[in-house]
Amino acid sequence: MRYLNISICILLFFLTFSCNEDFLEKPPLSQTTEGLFPATANDALLATNGAYNSLRQWNLNAGGFPLLDIMTDQVTKGSSAGDGAATAVFEDFTFDAFDPAMERWYATLYQGIRKSNLVILEVPKITMDEELRTRYVAEARFLRAYFYSILVRAFGDAVLVLEINPPLDLTRTDAQIIWEDVIIPDLEFAVENLPEKSDYAAEDLGRVTRGGAKALLARLYLYLGDFPLAQQYSEEVINSGQYSLEPDFEDAFNVESEGGVESVWEVPALPFGFGDGGNQYANTWGVRGTPNRGWGFGRPAYPWIIEMQNNEDPRLDASVIFLGEVLDGIEILGDDATTDTTRVDGQIVEIECYNQKVWTPGTTAQESFGHNQRIIRYADVLLMAAEAANENGSPNVALNYLNQVRARARAGNTDILPDITATDQATLRLLIEDERNYELAFEGLRYWDLVRTDRASTILGPLGFVEGKHELFPIPQSEIDISQRRITQNPNYE
Amino acid sequence: MKKLYLTILIFLLGSYMITAQDLLTGTVTDAENGDPIPGVSIKVVNTTNGATTDLDGNYSIRVGSDAQLQFSFIGYKTQTIPVNGRSQINIQLQVDVETLSEVVVVGYGTVRKSDLTGSVASVKSEELVKVPAANPVQALQGKVSGLQVSNTSGDPGSEPVVRLRGIGTLNDNNPLYVVDGVILNGGINFLNPNDIESVEVLKDASATAIYGSRGSNGVILITTKQGEKGTVRVNFSAEQSWESIANKIGVMNGREFATYVNEFAPGTYNNLDVLPNVDYQDLIFEDLAPINNYNASVSSASEKSDYYFSLGYFNQDGILPKSDFERITAKLNNNYKVGKSFKMGLNLSLASTTKSNAPGVITTALRAFPIDEPFTTDSLGNEVFAEVRGSANPLAAIEYQNSKTTRQEAVSNLYAEFSFLDGFSFKTSFQFNGSLSKTKSFTPEFFVAPLQQNETSDISQSYSDFYQLIFENILSYNKEFNGIHRINAVAGYTTQQTRSEFLNGSAQNLLREEEEFWYINAGDGDPLLQNVSNNASETAIVSILARVNYSLMDKYLFTATYRRDGSSKFGANNRYGVFPSFALGWNLSEESFFPQTNFVENIKLRASWGIVGNEKIPANNQYSTIGTGQGAVFGENETLNPGASFASAGNPNLQWEEQVQYDFGINGEFLNNRLVIELDYYNKTTNDILVNLTPLGYTGIGAFQQIRYNVANVENKGFEFNTSWKDQIGNVNYSLNVLGSFIKNEVLDLGEGFGADSVIIGGDLGNGQRVARTVVGFPVGFFYGYEVQGVFQNSEQLNQFPSLSAQGIGDFIYRDVNNDGVLNAEDRTVIGNSIPDLTFGFGGSVGWKGISLSADFQGQTGVDVYNGKQALRFSILNYEDKFLDRWTGEGTSDTDPRATQGGVNFSPSDYFVEDASYLRLRTLTLGYNFPQNLISKIKASQVRIYVRGTNLITWTKYTGYSPDIGTGNPLDGVIDLGRYPVTKTYSVGLNVNF
Repeated sequence: MRYLNISICILLFFLTFSCNEDFLEKPPLSQTTEGLFPATANDALLATNGAYNSLRQWNLNAGGFPLLDIMTDQVTKGSSAGDGAATAVFEDFTFDAFDPAMERWYATLYQGIRKSNLVILEVPKITMDEELRTRYVAEARFLRAYFYSILVRAFGDAVLVLEINPPLDLTRTDAQIIWEDVIIPDLEFAVENLPEKSDYAAEDLGRVTRGGAKALLARLYLYLGDFPLAQQYSEEVINSGQYSLEPDFEDAFNVESEGGVESVWEVPALPFGFGDGGNQYANTWGVRGTPNRGWGFGRPAYPWIIEMQNNEDPRLDASVIFLGEVLDGIEILGDDATTDTTRVDGQIVEIECYNQKVWTPGTTAQESFGHNQRIIRYADVLLMAAEAANENGSPNVALNYLNQVRARARAGNTDILPDITATDQATLRLLIEDERNYELAFEGLRYWDLVRTDRASTILGPLGFVEGKHELFPIPQSEIDISQRRITQNPNYE
Repeated sequence: MKKLYLTILIFLLGSYMITAQDLLTGTVTDAENGDPIPGVSIKVVNTTNGATTDLDGNYSIRVGSDAQLQFSFIGYKTQTIPVNGRSQINIQLQVDVETLSEVVVVGYGTVRKSDLTGSVASVKSEELVKVPAANPVQALQGKVSGLQVSNTSGDPGSEPVVRLRGIGTLNDNNPLYVVDGVILNGGINFLNPNDIESVEVLKDASATAIYGSRGSNGVILITTKQGEKGTVRVNFSAEQSWESIANKIGVMNGREFATYVNEFAPGTYNNLDVLPNVDYQDLIFEDLAPINNYNASVSSASEKSDYYFSLGYFNQDGILPKSDFERITAKLNNNYKVGKSFKMGLNLSLASTTKSNAPGVITTALRAFPIDEPFTTDSLGNEVFAEVRGSANPLAAIEYQNSKTTRQEAVSNLYAEFSFLDGFSFKTSFQFNGSLSKTKSFTPEFFVAPLQQNETSDISQSYSDFYQLIFENILSYNKEFNGIHRINAVAGYTTQQTRSEFLNGSAQNLLREEEEFWYINAGDGDPLLQNVSNNASETAIVSILARVNYSLMDKYLFTATYRRDGSSKFGANNRYGVFPSFALGWNLSEESFFPQTNFVENIKLRASWGIVGNEKIPANNQYSTIGTGQGAVFGENETLNPGASFASAGNPNLQWEEQVQYDFGINGEFLNNRLVIELDYYNKTTNDILVNLTPLGYTGIGAFQQIRYNVANVENKGFEFNTSWKDQIGNVNYSLNVLGSFIKNEVLDLGEGFGADSVIIGGDLGNGQRVARTVVGFPVGFFYGYEVQGVFQNSEQLNQFPSLSAQGIGDFIYRDVNNDGVLNAEDRTVIGNSIPDLTFGFGGSVGWKGISLSADFQGQTGVDVYNGKQALRFSILNYEDKFLDRWTGEGTSDTDPRATQGGVNFSPSDYFVEDASYLRLRTLTLGYNFPQNLISKIKASQVRIYVRGTNLITWTKYTGYSPDIGTGNPLDGVIDLGRYPVTKTYSVGLNVNF
């Protein structure tokens, strides 16, 4: 009996050893893992939408703040001195490689690239409707080109990643190669394979289009200084019949005109948190205090306001929210904690005001998350065509496009904003630059306009812009450190 | 010749016959229960003769009638009896309480204290109920050398931060808690301190390696009370306490504030005399907030079974409204003997807690404009909350906060044990512990100010459950051979699985705002305003373990342990880890050459080496996941189209952290055990620390996303001492003790081959400024920023010293650390340390007749806190009174800058680093035991009343509420952003035993 007991014990003891490896396999619940997705036609759609998701990422806009605007003469940092301190270094160009916004921006661009690469690499392997499959890939290539185009304009030579899990010893690739081998071919593929805006089903409005791809190509060719191609692509958009100017300037970016005739490409959003379709882009700019619409980061600059006033340009009122103004029945009182009017030696240098282009009506701060960020407007396409035509020696073609924009701006008031008639290339060049300054203010375009036209040191020099340095932003120091300096820094940032 | 031999033989026989004529017999029994005691050693004094009792306690021996017999057995008091010609002597041996209590609980068993080779500290039950806190760990503050207990908050029911022997890892540094053999996944908030018999803190690898992959942060073993032999014991205790804030933080009053603001914004306040002056700290804190603590227990034991049953009730209001905590606990421990060799039992702890989640109004109150009244009258003449500038109206924040967490928790251990052969036993146990936690939060619709409003009422509910199941099989062998060799060995196999799941839901626009409507179904049903989320995770561990403890002649001690763990948290390649340890002990004072004096009673030398591990990372860090919820908005009627893509990024090559630890120790008892000294030196190096690091940005995992790697190495070395003195002078008995621990912490490596200049930046103040760093060659999480050298007094100085572009006269002169004539980010340097150099505790007690007085002190030195609440300035906020000494013109202040709303002077600098060294009178207790003749009338065996003060006095230079704040994440350093204050408490109590 005793030995029986002992035997049972020993048996029990060893029985329990017969565990199998399955006991220790505990993969994540509710999520699948890399390598198993996308596998089906529905996965392909999900993965494509997942790449679009990056467009609403707060950090995609220069690390969350309207830094590209704050660095220009159109915008100052906004809010109070102690608040949004992280943006102050962009007002006076004292930012360095340790800047966290730059780090977030860089990382988020690569995140968008990675999500696009997932579609580009994996969706073609899926057995499904071929036309749709090609469209998904074209959408992803459009997005990848967009992300790379920002990356290369912001940081210059960049690490070229065309796979899901890149090796960890990569170095920077010449920007020219990225333009030629990735960005341009991706967009050409998109032009080839994407539907026009009108060819999409109503429920797909907001997906990238052939016209959007051409407009983006025009923008990038201007940046690259290839004016014939810039003119070609912008005119193709103009002649496509897909787009026109909104009759009223303020309808070019407000809620009613979302997805409207002037919208070549915008990022649709819903008035909820990011996970539910929201985009914090407008909230970041939004009115501080009463009504509470946001943080008030980025404030229209006083000199710009004065210039617009001197021109009696009606676009000023549609672009800037002044204190005391009543918008959609809501009185704008602003933030108690910030100074309403800042004077230096008795002269006004700054007033509390806000970017009206991101204004959303409604009763809650949350509404601002539903603002659709306009990335390319038809007015921009017209001005790009004007600029390219002027550079290509066709001033009259240029004037035609330019004056379409001015005509809309003057809103029937013949006393203001007369048609431009100058045909001298240099004069017209500056007039087109001015028109972009007035028409496209606070839309994240001026900084790169000034850089690509070599005008940045002239106009932004007094603010702190240093030629030979600030045309590019610093590669995040963490990237340099982690790569053990395989990844190098841009000039004059070390 | 033959004759001679014969004569000698006869002589010898004769002498034998003379001295050992009589056969003496008898039985040895236990004085308490009368059980026979087998194996009792019987020696004839001054001879080599002896005998032992048989299984029935009987013995027989031949002795002379005038001989003396010595009866001895382990665990009993030795007795010496003169024979006096008797032929039968029955002896009752008294249990030697002192020797028996000298058994120390170690992992998977117990060991005699004299055989112990590891570094283990024991804390007895009476120490654990000295502090009026729900969590027993609070009572360990200053009681165990090497154990640092601090608080992230004084919020009722919050768990303290516990660090054993420094910061060993860069992730979770919490020790492992084991309650009655059950390895817990988290803390012990469910446990009533009154139910605890003893706490053993396992410090070195010899003690912790039996817990293998979970031992490296130290192990806290808790043994709960069991029934004791004798009559039924009934205990009742009641304690009533009142707590108050120990000190207020000095902030500006209305006039000071307005004067200050006028300096940088002239003309803001024109008539300082009419401005209100509101002290928001006075308005939010309640004075003498009550704590109630009632406990009752019944216990008993018989031959065949024993039990301990208790109920406890604890309720703490908290000094902030709506921060109360209530706990009901039940404890049942019972054991049954079936036959001679079979035993089984159940240990069960149940707890139900309700916690009101405090509104975060501490910082709000500190920031509030003192010139803004909290109430105003609306157009109808009703008193309503007014807008309070700074951050929000703290009183409104309290009013609109409604959040409660309820939690039910059970920890149980069901076992059966079978003894066989000689010294073997096999124990199998099923251990289940589980919890169910619910949080309900409701915010009504309200408007106080544009920045303090809730546009629609909202409700959120979150449910989470957790369970853990352990199946454990342990074979033990305990045997002593001839009093020379003693072997204590265990071997076992255990499996463990855990599962946790949560479900959260929320809705808005409730039909009504009364509590009956605080349900999701009362929301407006708008699917866009409703949210649901649900997820779960599982883990599993499979282990083999063994330990041998061998003692030779009570002098030479040897312990070896082994554990092999396999964990689901690691990929198939690195799934198993092996954790060995070895230790030697030498009871020096047992040696024959050791001088037998009264001065030295006992000296033991110990040395140990071992490897322990850490696996405290989330369940799925090895996997790169694809997540849904990454939708995009499309359509003429904009709708969210579902999307999926990369979610978290994993590392399939993850493996354990490995900590190599050695320890040298001395235990000494001197002067008749009055003086006890324990000293330890240790060195532990953790390698392959599991740390989340930001990989190269181009990997595309996204901003703020990190991947876990095994990269860093951290060393902790230190010296610990623990001494106590106990004596009696006449009727007065008294005791003193002093303990402390010196620690040096250093990061040895931070990702070699991963990034040459790896720096882990932590300590986010909430405005993007990050003040803590972890780099090679320094302690974990030190503070990093500018060094203030003075204040620019004039333009000459401004030109003389390098400055930041935004700086002017009256601003700080930051030191140009690298002396390159330019002040920039490169000039930031080490400005503070968040790991104390020395933590200590000391105390004493005096007893005279029934009166006892005891005092415990504890503290720390060589540690800093970053005063983040003062450094954060989003807009104009009230200022701490430090700024009253500001620079107001040349020659005024060289330490405090000019008045500004915010900006450059608030950059991370040593101006905000404060010395958090302190000495605290932790408890002061005066007690009285009623005399026996009085209490016997009510049939009580003990009646004690006491008054006690907790945290009565803290000596410190720190300006915040409490210098002993801790941090959950060591990479953040210790930053004070306005914590719920640790309070001072006054208690009265009654304890009755029947």
